[in-house]
Amino acid sequence: MNKKGKSVRAKERRAGWIFLMPATIMILIMSFWPMIQAFITSFKSGKGSLLTWANPWNFNYARILQDKIFITSLKNTFLYLLIEVPIMLILAILLAQILNNKDLKFKGLFRTMVFLPCATSLVSYALIFKSLFATQGLINQVLMSLGIIHENINWLGTAGTAKAIIIIALIWRWTGYNMVFYLAGLQNIDYQVYEAAKIDGASPWSTFWRITVPLLKPVIVMTFIMSINGTLQLFDESVNLTNGGPANATITMSHYVYNMAFGQGVGHFGYSSAMSFVIFIMVAILAFINMKVGDTRD
Amino acid sequence: MKKRLIALLTAGVLAASMVPVTVFADDADAPTADVSSEDENTLSVYAWDANFNIPALEAAEADYQNNVNPDFKLEIITQSGSSDVENAVTLAGQSGDYSNLPDIVLFQDHYFQQFYQSYPDAWVDLADAEIDWDDFGAEKLSFSTIDDVHFGVPVDNGTAIMAYRTDLLEEAGYSIDDMTGCTWDEFIEVGKAVYEKTGKYLLCMDGSGNDLPYMMLQAEGESQFTDGEPTFATNEKYNQIIKNIVTMIQNNVLYLGNDWSDYTDQAIIGDMVAGVLNGNWIIPTMEQAEENSGKWEITSLPTLEGGEGFASNGGSSLYITGNCSKPELAADFLAKTFGAGSTETYDAALKNGGVITCSISAGESDVYQEGVDFFNGQPIYADIVAMGANVPVIEQSDYHYQARQYVGTAIQNLVAAGEPDDDAVAAALQDAQDQLSFEMAG
Repeated sequence: MNKKGKSVRAKERRAGWIFLMPATIMILIMSFWPMIQAFITSFKSGKGSLLTWANPWNFNYARILQDKIFITSLKNTFLYLLIEVPIMLILAILLAQILNNKDLKFKGLFRTMVFLPCATSLVSYALIFKSLFATQGLINQVLMSLGIIHENINWLGTAGTAKAIIIIALIWRWTGYNMVFYLAGLQNIDYQVYEAAKIDGASPWSTFWRITVPLLKPVIVMTFIMSINGTLQLFDESVNLTNGGPANATITMSHYVYNMAFGQGVGHFGYSSAMSFVIFIMVAILAFINMKVGDTRD
Repeated sequence: MKKRLIALLTAGVLAASMVPVTVFADDADAPTADVSSEDENTLSVYAWDANFNIPALEAAEADYQNNVNPDFKLEIITQSGSSDVENAVTLAGQSGDYSNLPDIVLFQDHYFQQFYQSYPDAWVDLADAEIDWDDFGAEKLSFSTIDDVHFGVPVDNGTAIMAYRTDLLEEAGYSIDDMTGCTWDEFIEVGKAVYEKTGKYLLCMDGSGNDLPYMMLQAEGESQFTDGEPTFATNEKYNQIIKNIVTMIQNNVLYLGNDWSDYTDQAIIGDMVAGVLNGNWIIPTMEQAEENSGKWEITSLPTLEGGEGFASNGGSSLYITGNCSKPELAADFLAKTFGAGSTETYDAALKNGGVITCSISAGESDVYQEGVDFFNGQPIYADIVAMGANVPVIEQSDYHYQARQYVGTAIQNLVAAGEPDDDAVAAALQDAQDQLSFEMAG
């Protein structure tokens, strides 16, 4: 009896492993193996296929700190992070709050509208923003005919406005995505909690801060980590909207990594891999801090 | 409620999953399978422009069939752009597996040196091919020659043209003869007058490609590099050239486009300019503004001290790859068509694709002497071949495109900083050179 039970459990365990195997093997080969390879490559230097072990071993990593353009791209990326992520998440939570209102009409329509930007491909939306803000583009035409500006503004050719447009584009693209998480979180909060608060005479403002935000905390932490992660790896917008310009004013870290590896033909694969791992470590540290801050357990 | 949310999410996921499919559909014809030819009379080749270099290859195929081997077949595999060929070589080189390359590739001249350095096994030399190399412009060959050994057979000609709208010049009180051999200072004065009278820019540049400084320095007979190291920051002429470019941008003489499509679609086709300076492959783009037919003429570049300047930009050559199973056939094909200055190949290439040769003997054929309506009846092809023979040979570098990029950053910074003085230009160029040296040290 005892023996039989054991073998059934063993069988189940084996079946479980067999089911897991294909996915696990694929992930190992397609994802982890390249990561290990990239880590090894990050200790090599040279051009194209002629890679040799770097001397000293940390040559590529030491170079990163002396690289002015990498520092520029780091600053750009953190500027996007510091401005875009808070605006986007606050907007998302407000929209979620509004769309969660029980008395709101055409809720489905509004939700679809807010979520729809997320369904567009990164490249196509970047190209649409690019044509909107082109020197002869729609935005300039509208502003001209309204008499707000008197000559075409070179939005994407000026450092300040180019950065602003990337941030606007990011907010447009990702707010709806985060809103969906908040909406799902809000629907898990029992409506009776709000009713009780109302009876106690709480204002909507304090209801939001004392009930909604604490109960949404896990979702907020998750969206924060995802947004930080996504922003640090920002690539499509920088490449397609501004190509990093003018004068590297909008280049992101991932874009610079790509340029070093594939941009102009001379492939500095070792150095690019080293930069990728530095970005990876940054993401890991920020995510770790975020999880510690958001952790409510004592 | 939840159902609706799920439906919404599903719709979103479905929509999102549709997008990549359409994107990749464009690449569906990019070959990934074995592309080396099997048949002993067949060669495969990568090329990328159905309106330009592919007709030239078809012309060469017909030429070789008619005159050498009637069973010969050239399998032309169309790529969506020159970068596809570069990526194919990178992929093959990185993986060490050259079996996915065709017998021959059409390759951009400026990229060849660095791809040779990175992937030496990807190429086969033409040391034994019977080609009269003296028939080609020396400057063109300097791209495809490594340690005096030839690797590439020239197809087109990258000679730079300086094209002017004669009607707009006239409106401002000048003629094309005033512009031939003028100094850049005079050019700037004319440019200011033209902008004031007509609202058009006398020059334009793609601000993400930044190819003007290279051409303007070549017209002076100098290079951004000396013995493999960048030396442009301390080159007085180069400092003056960059200062002129910044001054031109600030005075509406030069329109600095944000990117390539801004340069071609807005500036040139959108009729914003009275002058174009680039490799002659820009002509088909200019011709798209049909309403200006007959108003353009071409001449040589201005120089700093005055006198005609000659330069070159872009262009490509045919190279035999390390995967070629019939190197003798490939070398013979190249030697007897493009390499021999064959008028049968080059005349058809010009007629069908607008490909201008840099073979001096092929440029003497009748087709080249014909006037072109778009350029007011000027025999521009003969003129371009003649100009091409004068382009000075300058030192080339693996880091040509990187240099352009860093100098472009310097120009952007100088334009933003206001009227340039010599010290600011020198400092900006020093920054650019330092950054380039930094990259090269990796």
